[in-house]
Amino acid sequence: MNKSLKKRQPVFIRALAPTLLGLVLIASLFFPLSARAGSPEVKPAYALVNCRIFPVAQPVIEKGTILIRDGLIEAVGPAGKIQIPEDAELIEASGLNAYPGLISAHTNLFLEIKEQAQPATPEDYMAAFSQPAEPKEFPWLQIVEKIKPKKQTVETYHRIGITTVVVAPHEGIFQGQSVVLNLNSDQIHKMVLAQPWALHINFATERGVYPSSPMGTLAFLRQKFYDTQHYSQHLQKYRQSPHFLKRPEYDPFLEALLPFVIDKKPIVFQCNNLEEIKRALKIIKEFKLNAVLTGCNEAWRASQQLKSASIPLLVTLDFRPPASSVYAQQGQAIREKAEKEIYPANTSNLVKEKMNFSLTSFGLNDTDFVKNLRAAIKAGLPTDQALRSLTIEPARTLGLEKQLGSLEPGKIANLILTKGELFDEKTKIVKVMVDGTLFSYEEKGQ
Amino acid sequence: MTRKLKKTGLIISLSFLILFLLSATWLLAGGDLLIKNATILTVTGSVIPNGDVLVINGVIKQIGQNITAPAGTRIIEANGRYLMPGIIDTHTHIALSGTNEGTDAVTPEVTMAEVVNADDTSIFTALSGGVTMVHTMHGSANVIGGTNVVLKLKWGKPSEELIVKEAYPTLKFALGENVKQSNRTLLPGRPQRYPATRMGANALIRTELMRAKDYIATWDRYEQLKKSKNPPANLLPPRKDLRLEALADLLRGKLIARCHAYVAPEMIEFLNLSKEFGFKIGAFEHAWEAYKITNELKAAGVGISVFIDSWAYKMEAAEGIAYNAAYCTKKGILVSINSDSGERIRRLFNEAGKAVKYGLTQDEALKLITINAAKQLGVDRLVGSIEVGKQADLALFSRHPLSAYTRCEMTIIEGDVYFDREALIKERAGASAQKGGLS
Repeated sequence: MNKSLKKRQPVFIRALAPTLLGLVLIASLFFPLSARAGSPEVKPAYALVNCRIFPVAQPVIEKGTILIRDGLIEAVGPAGKIQIPEDAELIEASGLNAYPGLISAHTNLFLEIKEQAQPATPEDYMAAFSQPAEPKEFPWLQIVEKIKPKKQTVETYHRIGITTVVVAPHEGIFQGQSVVLNLNSDQIHKMVLAQPWALHINFATERGVYPSSPMGTLAFLRQKFYDTQHYSQHLQKYRQSPHFLKRPEYDPFLEALLPFVIDKKPIVFQCNNLEEIKRALKIIKEFKLNAVLTGCNEAWRASQQLKSASIPLLVTLDFRPPASSVYAQQGQAIREKAEKEIYPANTSNLVKEKMNFSLTSFGLNDTDFVKNLRAAIKAGLPTDQALRSLTIEPARTLGLEKQLGSLEPGKIANLILTKGELFDEKTKIVKVMVDGTLFSYEEKGQ
Repeated sequence: MTRKLKKTGLIISLSFLILFLLSATWLLAGGDLLIKNATILTVTGSVIPNGDVLVINGVIKQIGQNITAPAGTRIIEANGRYLMPGIIDTHTHIALSGTNEGTDAVTPEVTMAEVVNADDTSIFTALSGGVTMVHTMHGSANVIGGTNVVLKLKWGKPSEELIVKEAYPTLKFALGENVKQSNRTLLPGRPQRYPATRMGANALIRTELMRAKDYIATWDRYEQLKKSKNPPANLLPPRKDLRLEALADLLRGKLIARCHAYVAPEMIEFLNLSKEFGFKIGAFEHAWEAYKITNELKAAGVGISVFIDSWAYKMEAAEGIAYNAAYCTKKGILVSINSDSGERIRRLFNEAGKAVKYGLTQDEALKLITINAAKQLGVDRLVGSIEVGKQADLALFSRHPLSAYTRCEMTIIEGDVYFDREALIKERAGASAQKGGLS
């Protein structure tokens, strides 16, 4: 016994030595970093001078100055009225327009979404369907834990003017809880603005398990809401006095719903067509939920109901007609015509009804977002409304109107500098500032 | 003081009454029409040759000859063509976003009224065959399916305006091969769903209804304790269970069963269940062997909703006979003909025509797709025949609707024209590309 142990010890140490060495190396690598993080970070002050300012909350300033310090806006005003501090780095911005950074209040950014492989052969088909089906319900999911920010994606979004995003989960009916991020870096802890923001619900169906139909999904949602109410009632009674009262059985699903169903934190309902908008409104009313609707590319068809419900809308610029639409049922030509001519007018129809809404890039990549935004404007969406729908409106819906959505002193320094007016065809975004961090996107030779 | 109060109260209540009446007429307001010189198949009365029908606010105001309409009323010249009540389909699955919640054998908590899809083009197909009303149902995958919905096919109107609130609220049941899943390939790794036999289906219904009885008792006990003088401190309401709520509504008589069944024994079993638990049956669906149990059906006052002659498409339909509808009618059972299809729905008049071959008179055959269907859905005081005071749901045919050579020319719901063949052909010739029913 002893002998064998003695023999083994050196082997053990030998095996461990490289690991130990590696650990020391890694620690030495990290040491300067952690020392830097420990000391207070000195953020520079900036003065953007001589730019045309679109503050959103106030009228346009033709030639103005914006002071930024510690990641916040210190002052905004016409040139000459604002004194530039000595320590501020001067950024000459004549010929440029300054806007608040745009907010897309529904994205699946930074998430690794795997396309489900469609079974090709009968054998594949059999194999896929003979798998025991598992429901994809995770109301407790914090999407922030799944996010892997990428520098390249951040820059891609900067180039289309977006500085703030909501990242929402995307699977199941009770999909989980979203987070609001500032695209200031690729480090998640620096990016978080609000966590969690909302619980996301989609009128999806499960495959092979309950609920597998739209009516099943509605019954499932209602039952869960009733169960949460009952669970809360039971918990409360038990807390008051556990005497002669059986304790409520711990239910993680309902626990996750309590803050939203009982404490009325926001719930976002994804509405992919007209009927889903109506279904959501009905459920919201029944359970008195604090709700937001997203998707809604058929919102104009329910404008009357939406108006009287006055629930915040996150309207996607995705113009593809939903599968239930008459335009999707009569062949490709009609579907494409509707995508080009009917759905882009969704938002301008809402404006005609004097409705407020936010625009999102949900379901779109960066180039389609820009293309479709221009198409919506061409279909009658006024540019000032478009700007509000991407700044102050989503800021309000997110409960961040004190921090975001306009260029005002005290707010977070999220802004974009453009050559040309924001929504024009040839406009280029040359500088982006997020949380006071400056990113430059000037192309060579400019 | 009090008199003054009373007076103001009276004025307020009067003005409310007036407002209510105004809003009510506004809600009811349909179209105005005068249809002239039609051969009117009233269904409940005699045939009127060269008759006129006046429709005001969507309701039939006058039937007769040489009727004059108020100025501005649209006049439709029938030229002797045949006017019949709008056809009613008592069993279909059109205009819905889903059919079966097939993951469980018991799903009465799902409601089809919430998944109406007014954009479904089958609505227009149905209109082209003179159909104005459908009972659109949960599928037959489950022993206890969902609650069904009755719609008027107002193509182009929002889904909520299609729903006929006056109709019976019905709950779908199903028996036999579909719920046993006997025509399915069993997938490796997936267990056979319970029930796999007719005995199983019967036992499952009994179990579920007994659970619903318990559920009612539990709630009653709670309500009583809550109302008592000293309710216990730990009193907690029972859990609200939507599945059992629906079954409790069936037991309370607030829902009526519509049962998909083929063979005679399973229908008898279901009749026995209804007696045992005291719930109502609206009709048996398909009921291919109803001809074997006419006495039992008549005694129970249960009707049938059937195909006319497409039997033997599966084992349990093997003993179906094309005389089923006619024979059961002769025996005094309320019979309707259904389509169960988004295609057959446009030629239900052909299906009714075949009933003449199997022994019914023309009047009796027409009733299968009009007044009988209306009775089964609980809307016969509103639709199903051409009578003064009924809603103007009408279909105009080129020849007698039971003729093999006939064609539906125009379909009208509450005085509004929803299908007009002539206008449509003209429009189609003019338009290069059809946009669909919405602007």
